[in-house]
Amino acid sequence: MSTEVTSRQPEAVREAFEQEFGRFARFRGEGRAVALSELRLADAEAALRELAELRTRHAGKKSALANLKKQIGRVAPEERAAFGQRVQQTEAEIAASLDEAEAALRSHAARARVELERLDVTLPGRRPRRGHLHPITLVRRRLEDIFVSMGYAVEDGPEIETDFYNFTALNIPPDHPACSVQDTFYTTEGFALRSQTSTVQIHAMQRRKPPLRVIAPGRVFRRDTPDATHNPMFFQLEGLLVDRNVTMAHLKGTVTEFLSRMFGAGTRTRFRPSYFPFTEPSAEFDFSCFKCGGTGRLAGEPCRLCKGGGWIELGGSGMVHPNVLRAVGIDPEEFSGFAFGFGIDRMCALLYSLDDIRLLFENDVRFLEQFN
Amino acid sequence: MLISYNWLRDLTGSEWGVAELCKRLTMRGLEVEGVHEAGDDSVIDVALPSNRADWLSHLGVAREVGVMTGRGVRLPQTESKRTEGRAADFTSVDLQAHDLCPRFTARVVRGVRIAPSPAWLAGRLQAVGLRSINNVADITNYVMLELGQPLHAFDLDKLGENRIVVRRARAGETIRTLDGVDRKLDTEMLVIADAARAVAVAGVMGGAETEISDATTNVLIECAYFAPASVRRTSRALGLQTDASDRFERGVDPESLLRAQARAVALITELAGGAASEDAIDIYPRRVARPSVPLRFGRVGALTGLDVPTADALRILDALGFKVSTGGANGSGAAKPDGAIEVAPVEPGAQVVFTAPTWRYDVALEEDLVEEIARHFGYEKIADELPVSHNVGEHRAHEGRRRAARRALTSLGFDEAISFSFIDAAHDERFELPPGLVAGAGGGGGAGENAVSASKNAASDAGGGDEKDSGERRDPRFVTLSNPIIEGASRMRATLLAGLLASLRHNFNHGTRDVRLFETGRVFAAATDGGERPTERESFAMVATGGALEAGRALAPRELDFYDLKGALEAAADAMKLPPLEFAADDSARHLRAGQSARVALGGQAVGFVGRLSDEIAAAYKFRQAVFVCEVNMTALLDAGETPARYAPLARFPSVVRDASLVVDRSATFAEMRRSVLGMNLEDVRGVALFDVYEGERVPEGKRSVTLRIEYRADDRTLRDEEADALHRQIVESLERKFGAQLR
Ligand SMILES: [Zn+2]
Repeated sequence: MSTEVTSRQPEAVREAFEQEFGRFARFRGEGRAVALSELRLADAEAALRELAELRTRHAGKKSALANLKKQIGRVAPEERAAFGQRVQQTEAEIAASLDEAEAALRSHAARARVELERLDVTLPGRRPRRGHLHPITLVRRRLEDIFVSMGYAVEDGPEIETDFYNFTALNIPPDHPACSVQDTFYTTEGFALRSQTSTVQIHAMQRRKPPLRVIAPGRVFRRDTPDATHNPMFFQLEGLLVDRNVTMAHLKGTVTEFLSRMFGAGTRTRFRPSYFPFTEPSAEFDFSCFKCGGTGRLAGEPCRLCKGGGWIELGGSGMVHPNVLRAVGIDPEEFSGFAFGFGIDRMCALLYSLDDIRLLFENDVRFLEQFN
Repeated sequence: MLISYNWLRDLTGSEWGVAELCKRLTMRGLEVEGVHEAGDDSVIDVALPSNRADWLSHLGVAREVGVMTGRGVRLPQTESKRTEGRAADFTSVDLQAHDLCPRFTARVVRGVRIAPSPAWLAGRLQAVGLRSINNVADITNYVMLELGQPLHAFDLDKLGENRIVVRRARAGETIRTLDGVDRKLDTEMLVIADAARAVAVAGVMGGAETEISDATTNVLIECAYFAPASVRRTSRALGLQTDASDRFERGVDPESLLRAQARAVALITELAGGAASEDAIDIYPRRVARPSVPLRFGRVGALTGLDVPTADALRILDALGFKVSTGGANGSGAAKPDGAIEVAPVEPGAQVVFTAPTWRYDVALEEDLVEEIARHFGYEKIADELPVSHNVGEHRAHEGRRRAARRALTSLGFDEAISFSFIDAAHDERFELPPGLVAGAGGGGGAGENAVSASKNAASDAGGGDEKDSGERRDPRFVTLSNPIIEGASRMRATLLAGLLASLRHNFNHGTRDVRLFETGRVFAAATDGGERPTERESFAMVATGGALEAGRALAPRELDFYDLKGALEAAADAMKLPPLEFAADDSARHLRAGQSARVALGGQAVGFVGRLSDEIAAAYKFRQAVFVCEVNMTALLDAGETPARYAPLARFPSVVRDASLVVDRSATFAEMRRSVLGMNLEDVRGVALFDVYEGERVPEGKRSVTLRIEYRADDRTLRDEEADALHRQIVESLERKFGAQLR
């Protein structure tokens, strides 16, 4: 083998490589950013595959380069060092070209893949549509929790009642308008649909001995034609406390406490004299409007919720009538008690700004799904 | 009731402005609901409590203002301009029914000229909502609104023999009342009559024939006290409610009759001329008594928490017209000779007996006096205090389980519904009732078939006959309202499904087709077992239809089916910590489609049904998509108690699973196959789970392929594959034998 030929061989190998590598050269050096930006993921992956083939052909075990390396030992000793150096240099240059192009393509492909698989993280999370509790249940549950934490037991009684529980024991005389067939539903057997949850007062006092604290949330019925503010069926909550030395101040404090927990600290209550057959003295209670804070004005306008008065009417209350206590065998000289009641539907209407309470029993899904 | 501000000011001399007055009235229990202007006057709309008949007049309201100002009221003048002769010279009164009319008075004015009322009188009546008629009629109305006492003016010359008889109506007697209606009277009704016929329905309305007309010159002014119950009864029986009957039936002041009459007569002689009789015929055999009510002053504070000085308490009661009972005073509360209360310091523990003024019908007990004192001392002075607690709070029984069930259902996409408790009787035969509610309906356990046919018999009995006659659509099984308010809704629901399906219809009508609802509530049935009250029980029901919606996505991945509803029921039961519910195919529920319905049982006791709504009912509701419904006896579920959670040691050795795909008849159920495998009692067989069910290509019609996944595991070593294979072979062979199954 002549020195002449041997000395030209590394150049030939490099030239042969560069001829084939030419189309990948744009992925090296200054211009590569532009070249890569036009490359789609599939093209980049194809280029990587071709590059791998190129590496096998030009730098693999059976390549001309490998062949050249094997010849180093056979070159004349005086030229061997120089020849070896040129082969090594050629090898390094080829490897550098391949590595640089491959790295650029690889990182481009990785980036392109990331872009391609980029998620729209604003698409809805995957979960079944959730159902909703009825607003009356939601309010009732809050009320029950508040009163249980204040030491009250939750009670219930029949929805179809005898005259005794619905009227007589509550000191409502038979000729009272509430007993009339205009106001109260009767069954053909002469039972009444309970017209107030006060009936549960009587059941509770028969079941428990004083001192006692109970609330009775539940369905009641009155013969009102349905309109925006009336339903012939609605929900009430009745509260009753019987103990020694109980006064109206305790009643007022209790009502204020529960309303503060319901509508926020700072809620004030107001008692107005009223009349209920089963309490004496009796009071209706109002509470300071939670929209305007009881000022009656909101952003310079009269508050719509309380109609500018600053107070919201809620329910009735009073000291348990001695006749009611006697009807269940409690001595009014030893014990006194208070009772209060209000509409859960009305509280719903207030809390959720309902303008038509007929919606409560239509079970329109568009209505129900507004509550949580 | 409408109150004229100017009129009230005439009676009180109060100079409070309208707003101030309204605030004060409201805080004393006369709730002002609105105010409107009427010329130079303001008209105040006051909502009055039903027990304060005495507030149905300007004087009544004025008395309250008088207590507030401390200056009392100024009674109007009652002196007639001209008097002539005695009443007995012109008429006579024969009171034959003392029991219904404790007091009757009559006075005569002769020579009047009937004419329109002067502007001030007509104006005041109009301001408070009354139409002006003529001077005499208007004066009787005016005095009623001023003093609370209804009066009636007769044309004296039209009264037969110019005389009055107060008696019960005769059998078959009729009268044409002022409103021109002929009314049939019964013998319990009190009438004012002349020598021959009834001329007024006492306390309710006068008769047309003796009405004041333009030609009237002599009038008789009746002013009476009628027994409240009698007027109430007559008014109801005739369906005739008037301003007069309103007042009489709640009670007027029997002691103020003569004053009211004198006031009216004075106004008549002033505005219509004529001369009044010097006196009135006054028949009042027995005074109407007022109860004496003892008051221990300490009770005021004990009941109200208010610290009311005794002097203030006495001042308030005195101003309200209460008198200390003569001889009733217990030492300290001394009475002046005229009965007015001596406002002097009294021992706090002292007891004084008070007599209520004759216009008060609401005072009978010490508590009533306490309220009067507290009312005028000021409810606004009542403090906020919390009572010392001797009790612990407790929720209703099973509240936690109810809440857990609700949570489970909402997390599965069910919205909670609440429906009316009364439904149309047309639903009676539509639904199979949850077991055990109605005697003989719905069935329990194996008795289901019989029970259903029994209830169907009952249904045909009821349908066969007389229900239309009564208008009430009675049915011995159910609770029926005698006075429903929503047309047709006379039945207390025995099933929640009627309400839920109505809600479904409503949702469809409003464009919502994917609906899942649940409801819990009472259902009702007529008393059974001789029980006195109707049966009330808690029921739980669901409906589901449309797509299995996902949150935030418009397209449901699939339609809901039977297994969604069954799954929801199981989830609810699970949340309530119940043992697994049992489901058995059952075509007997009449509201469900055969082949897609199951009877649900708990511990062997039937509790309800789940399935697809029958085509017949779906068509009646115009449902055009499959609807699945379920109703179970919630009371039974809650009564069943909780299954406590208990730890079981974790398996120490791994298990091996093997699947078996078997082609079986469609009638072979998964439950039977599973039971059959477990029933072989092979040690190391740990469970049988459903892998999948396939029907279609390569499976013959009438068959389906059921793939079971069976788990094998030993407690003391790792089971070898060959051991599992041997067990599996044994099981497959057994299934092939029992179910005619073929391995696929
Ligand atoms: Zn407000």
